[in-house]
Amino acid sequence: MTAYARIGAGTQPVIVYHEVVKRYGSFTALDRVSGQVNRGEVVCLIGPSGSGKSTLLRCTNALEPFDGGRVLFDGVELPRAESEARHVRRRMGMVFQNFELFPHMTALDNVAVGRVTVLGEAKAAARKRARSLLAKVGLSDKEASYPATLSGGQQQRVAIARALAMDPEVMLFDEPTSALDPETIGEVLNVMKQLADEGMTMVVVTHEMTFARRVGNWIIVFDHGRIVEEGPPAQIFDRPREQRTKDFFSHLGWGG
Amino acid sequence: MNLDWTVAWQYRFMLAEGVLVTVLLTVFTMAIAVPGGIVVMLARQSRFAPLRMAGTAYVEFFRNLPLILLVYWAFYVLPMIVDIQLSPFATGLVALCLNVSAYNAETFRAGVNSIRRGQHNAGLALGMSQWQVMGRIVLPQAVRRILPVLASTWVSLFKDTSLVSVIAVGDLAHNALQIRSQTFRVLEMLTVMAAIYWCLGYPQAKLVDWMHRRFGVSE
Repeated sequence: MTAYARIGAGTQPVIVYHEVVKRYGSFTALDRVSGQVNRGEVVCLIGPSGSGKSTLLRCTNALEPFDGGRVLFDGVELPRAESEARHVRRRMGMVFQNFELFPHMTALDNVAVGRVTVLGEAKAAARKRARSLLAKVGLSDKEASYPATLSGGQQQRVAIARALAMDPEVMLFDEPTSALDPETIGEVLNVMKQLADEGMTMVVVTHEMTFARRVGNWIIVFDHGRIVEEGPPAQIFDRPREQRTKDFFSHLGWGG
Repeated sequence: MNLDWTVAWQYRFMLAEGVLVTVLLTVFTMAIAVPGGIVVMLARQSRFAPLRMAGTAYVEFFRNLPLILLVYWAFYVLPMIVDIQLSPFATGLVALCLNVSAYNAETFRAGVNSIRRGQHNAGLALGMSQWQVMGRIVLPQAVRRILPVLASTWVSLFKDTSLVSVIAVGDLAHNALQIRSQTFRVLEMLTVMAAIYWCLGYPQAKLVDWMHRRFGVSE
């Protein structure tokens, strides 16, 4: 390793990937991927489409069953049984590319439903909490709105609040700005930066290189289901070692 | 031709009774066949193969039999298999529920399958169980989507209840035909019967259309 001290180094990682393998038929989406996420880190997964980064993210909370290897969360291996997976999932927040807000609920109830359904909290208390989270993402005036009436950026901010409502120990973002109009990307990235500044542990699959560079603490570059290289942003973006990393940046028009 | 429309007025109480039975049959059937359809649909979607096969067998069996045959079957055969004598009303109800549950199961299945996988994942990611995802996220959206189909099932059912008249359930069709055979006023009674069915059925269809507009959710 270089002189760069990784955040949380020496403490127990929140997430450890050990030789994770995922296949779709004859296609290998993840080819023995190993790595880790430390507490307080913002880890950005970058790389070409189809390189496996989103797949790894979905394996992290067992939404995607994988074929080999292990994923450890807080030192404990992810359970294989669906009925036990939910106890792990509720400790991780997830934000999806297409928001996936519940269209039949108001913004407020979208945020509150997890606490009511999963934690068994009383509706009034859950809504109170939801209100403060909507305020946090700057949407206090939208609590009675249904998702269909909100812009993409607003929907994604509600989705972030919904994930935060479960008091997660880590937040997983799956290309959170890829489905957004350019003018609303900034408002979502700002909320994410605010979370990072508060010390939230985050794993972010993204094509937003500026965000990865400025907010990320650790960058992992994927290609063809493998980790090409990883390191702190200054190293990856300014002095990439691998040709494939350089190729990826040049495809993006990112002067490496 | 000598028409006498006063016959309908003379027998108004018998007709009203028939209307009541028809409405009750429709309401009770749907009240049972909606949850029944959901149960059969869940069985068909189960990860447990025998349950899945049972659900499929149920749907394919009852959906492909003529309803009138089911009515006769429930009346003559069912009491031989299970040792209970049901009233004609309850017998008719059983036959209708068996049939409509099969249709509703397919309707719910189409609705549930139309909700994209991401909604399911969003619920799971919050830590919900499969059941909670189904109950809180998927089914509520599916029900709104299939409301128009349930509505047409309802209106069909309202008319199809007339088939139970063959086992002497005193519904509108049975009573009207009784009056016809007592008075020989064939044209009058059939016309009155048609008018009553239409006048009752049309507003129901409109009401459900309104429900669809009111509760429909856009994405």
